[in-house]
Amino acid sequence: MSLPVGVLRFPGTNCDRDVFEAVTSQGARAEWLWHADRFDPKGYRALLLPGGFSYGDYLRAGALAARSPVMDSAREAAQRGVPVLGICNGFQILCEAGLLPGVLIRNQGLRFIDDWVELNLVNAQPHFGRRMTAGIRARLPIAHADGRYYIEDDGLKRLQDRGQIWWTFSKNPNGAMADIAGVMNEAKNVAALMPHPERAMYEWMGGTDGAAFFDL
Amino acid sequence: MKTDPKSNQRSERDISEHAAKLKTYRLNESEYELISKLLARPPRGIEWALFSALWSEHCSYKSSKVHLKKLFNKSARVVESFGENAGVVDLGEGERVAFKIESHNHPSYIEPYQGAATGVGGILRDIFTMGARPIALADYLCFGEPTASRMTQLVNGVVRGIGGYGNCVGVPTITGQTEFHESYNGNILVNAMAVGLFRPGDKIFLSKAKGPGNWVVYVGAKTGRDGVHGASMASESFEADSAAKRPTVQIGDPFYEKLLIESCLEVMKEDLVVAIQDMGAAGLTSSSFEMASKGGVGLSIHLDKVPLRDSSMTPEDILLSESQERMLLVCEPRKFDRIAAIFHRWGLDAVTIGEVTEKKTVELHWRGEVLTEIDPDLLVENAPQYQRPWQPLLPQNRVNERSEIGLKETDWTTFLKETLTDVRGTSREWVYRQYDSRVGASTARDCRDSVGIVRLKDSERGLGVVLGCRPHVMRFDARVGGVDSIAYPALELALKGFDTLAVTDCLNFGNPERENVMSDFVASLEGMNSICAGLAAPIISGNVSFYNETMGKNITPTPSTGLVGLRADVKNLPQSTFERSGQEVYLLRLPGLVVGGVAQEMRQKKITGLGIADADAICAFVRMALKLSEVQGVEATRAVGKFGLAYAFARMATDGFGARLDFEALKLARGGEIDGAALFEEHLYEAIFAVDSARARALDEAFAAVMKTWHASGVKPTLTRVGRTVAGRLEIGSLIETDTASLIENYHQGWGRGFADLH
Repeated sequence: MSLPVGVLRFPGTNCDRDVFEAVTSQGARAEWLWHADRFDPKGYRALLLPGGFSYGDYLRAGALAARSPVMDSAREAAQRGVPVLGICNGFQILCEAGLLPGVLIRNQGLRFIDDWVELNLVNAQPHFGRRMTAGIRARLPIAHADGRYYIEDDGLKRLQDRGQIWWTFSKNPNGAMADIAGVMNEAKNVAALMPHPERAMYEWMGGTDGAAFFDL
Repeated sequence: MKTDPKSNQRSERDISEHAAKLKTYRLNESEYELISKLLARPPRGIEWALFSALWSEHCSYKSSKVHLKKLFNKSARVVESFGENAGVVDLGEGERVAFKIESHNHPSYIEPYQGAATGVGGILRDIFTMGARPIALADYLCFGEPTASRMTQLVNGVVRGIGGYGNCVGVPTITGQTEFHESYNGNILVNAMAVGLFRPGDKIFLSKAKGPGNWVVYVGAKTGRDGVHGASMASESFEADSAAKRPTVQIGDPFYEKLLIESCLEVMKEDLVVAIQDMGAAGLTSSSFEMASKGGVGLSIHLDKVPLRDSSMTPEDILLSESQERMLLVCEPRKFDRIAAIFHRWGLDAVTIGEVTEKKTVELHWRGEVLTEIDPDLLVENAPQYQRPWQPLLPQNRVNERSEIGLKETDWTTFLKETLTDVRGTSREWVYRQYDSRVGASTARDCRDSVGIVRLKDSERGLGVVLGCRPHVMRFDARVGGVDSIAYPALELALKGFDTLAVTDCLNFGNPERENVMSDFVASLEGMNSICAGLAAPIISGNVSFYNETMGKNITPTPSTGLVGLRADVKNLPQSTFERSGQEVYLLRLPGLVVGGVAQEMRQKKITGLGIADADAICAFVRMALKLSEVQGVEATRAVGKFGLAYAFARMATDGFGARLDFEALKLARGGEIDGAALFEEHLYEAIFAVDSARARALDEAFAAVMKTWHASGVKPTLTRVGRTVAGRLEIGSLIETDTASLIENYHQGWGRGFADLH
């Protein structure tokens, strides 16, 4: 039997059950990973960090979660090449943990934004949405207050040179640098995006482009 | 006879001290006498504070109870109703929903961010305290004119507060209503509704304390000084000093609430709890006394064991604090360790502060001393019930001629665009874009639509939520306004294929000691009742907010409502806009009452009407709308509301497809000559249907079939084909001719014109 997918759960994570169900709906087995516990880094075929407000977003979005025990094991797993996906708050946590470059700062309009956005796939991702090829577009919902990607110029150049930009917004909603909506690490096993694919799984949700992300 | 001047002085001083005490505790002389009679002695020490809180209007409903008893509140689906934290209805297939709407008006006017945030937090606790997982939020907001003092700050603070709390706690906001009128300039309304779901197998938990020897356990956040005397504050009118009341507003922490939701649902899932209640208005006082009174038992509570943020707090502070995110539960002693372990895992405390006792007495202990021993019924059940003076409502705004409600514009296309940019008609996108509408991954329709819809995971059915009460109709006539506050949202639900199951209401009114306010109150309840009974949709929960009065000026009577409806699935839901060209456009119409509406208020600062609103016919019309919306080929539906028919067509054209509407057909539909003004009057009721042209006949046939059994006296509905959808244009005869792009532009720019600083 193949290894399960681990879904990380912090106090305040609120898309946890949505992501868990998205994984199982596409046929994979999922298991919870609790913030206070370490886990076997070889025990999971992929790790997912769902969105929400881990630790209430106090201090900075993702800052406290990035320093919790479960992230020690996640870091080890990432170093071993286990695929890791962060969604929204999960993206913020991965940046704060140093597993992805850059940071996510307050939206340009200083307000929370809930909307549907169109995205462009800049570089294909070998694990999450692996059947999607560069150049395609996807329509997904966003819901965040701190989703404005920022990185210094040399860092941005490195991302561009090494093909680490995953998704960009067709129409930039939050002031993100270079319209970036999602990035990957250099090894491409750690990836994250601000939009919520788990909220676009079926027609009745308003779109189905999210399902491909959970075909693991 | 000699009198002792000294004793005279003392008695004068006693009298003034007594009066000062009554004022401090917001009790009147007759209430004082009643308390003394019930106790067989004058109240002592802490008892003043207890009676002050629990006999406040906010907690006791003393001015409204005699009328609330008459509300239609029964149906086979009702599981729990008034008396519990929220009403519960059975959806069948093992699923049940708990829901309730509640006001947080006074705190939100004093301190908008925290007032609105804690309004959301409080209503969520009413839901999950019963064991239901919150699945949807909705907000009913009434603001003053954009130019009124502080209004930009109030709108900004309230919307940020709702978003700040709801988004973090992880419950989607799926619908809402936002109104503007000068009567709210000095007293805004913030009503929040929450809906929670019991999945098959989930147990419902109640607040009745039971089992002498069981423990009383305090869980959640520590108690601080915030919100002390909040309940009595909410039971008074505003004078000039509202800013001085800021310390009575509570402070919310949505992160804590999220932990509380998860931990409470977990202890309930393991069936570790006998009874549970949140600490809302009047905090520990109301939760402990109500739990004891409902359970017919006593409680012995040690106030010195309550976790405090500030060790210098007095027993009175502790009893009346409205600190947020706290719950009181009763459990068997042997289950306490498991409960404590679950709360600790979520980073929360669980502390035993007392126990259930046989004798029906609440004993409050403080550092070895018994502060009071009192029968909880005296506080919970024996508050006075006032029959405040009221008069049967006289129709004051009715006119005899259509021309008396007409507008005198010359360019109706320009006027239409004005309605789309006016703050009363423009897009609320600025508001709802700040709310997470999809967390929970169950949202099928959100605030962008007329009805919020969530999909129920187990049965795959749709649950529709919509808010009601159109204040301009209330200003026309409180009874008709009451009818409309149920009928209009029920029609909106029906047009999306939902049968209304039950209703929650939040009765926002002015000072009940004024006869005209009370008369409006009684009339609007009568109006609501007539439709609830006709639709078999009981009112199962809610609250009353009186004293919405500032410096002697009362708000528009505003009985906001939340309706919940059920549908077999979430597939093929009718849209609310035209989404392609070539659809046949129909007008479904019930002749009855015509009011000048928001357009008339905009031009003439008044609202008049002609005709009557017949409850029987309206209920039959709503049922007909449900039947017709289910016809195969119906692609879009919309109730015609504020600003009338032209505005409704314009709203349907905001996706880029408009319509070409035949003037002769509209004349036929309306049964007589019409002019531009008639396109902006509001007819109770009309609805627009857009139908696949190949299947239009099915709609006519369905209509004819319903008409065969139409029995409502007097009036008969009509269904008339009035035009066809086209790309990019909206034309109504030759009166209105425009491209849809400029309609869209106006609709989206209006907000920024009203509130230049909010974008």
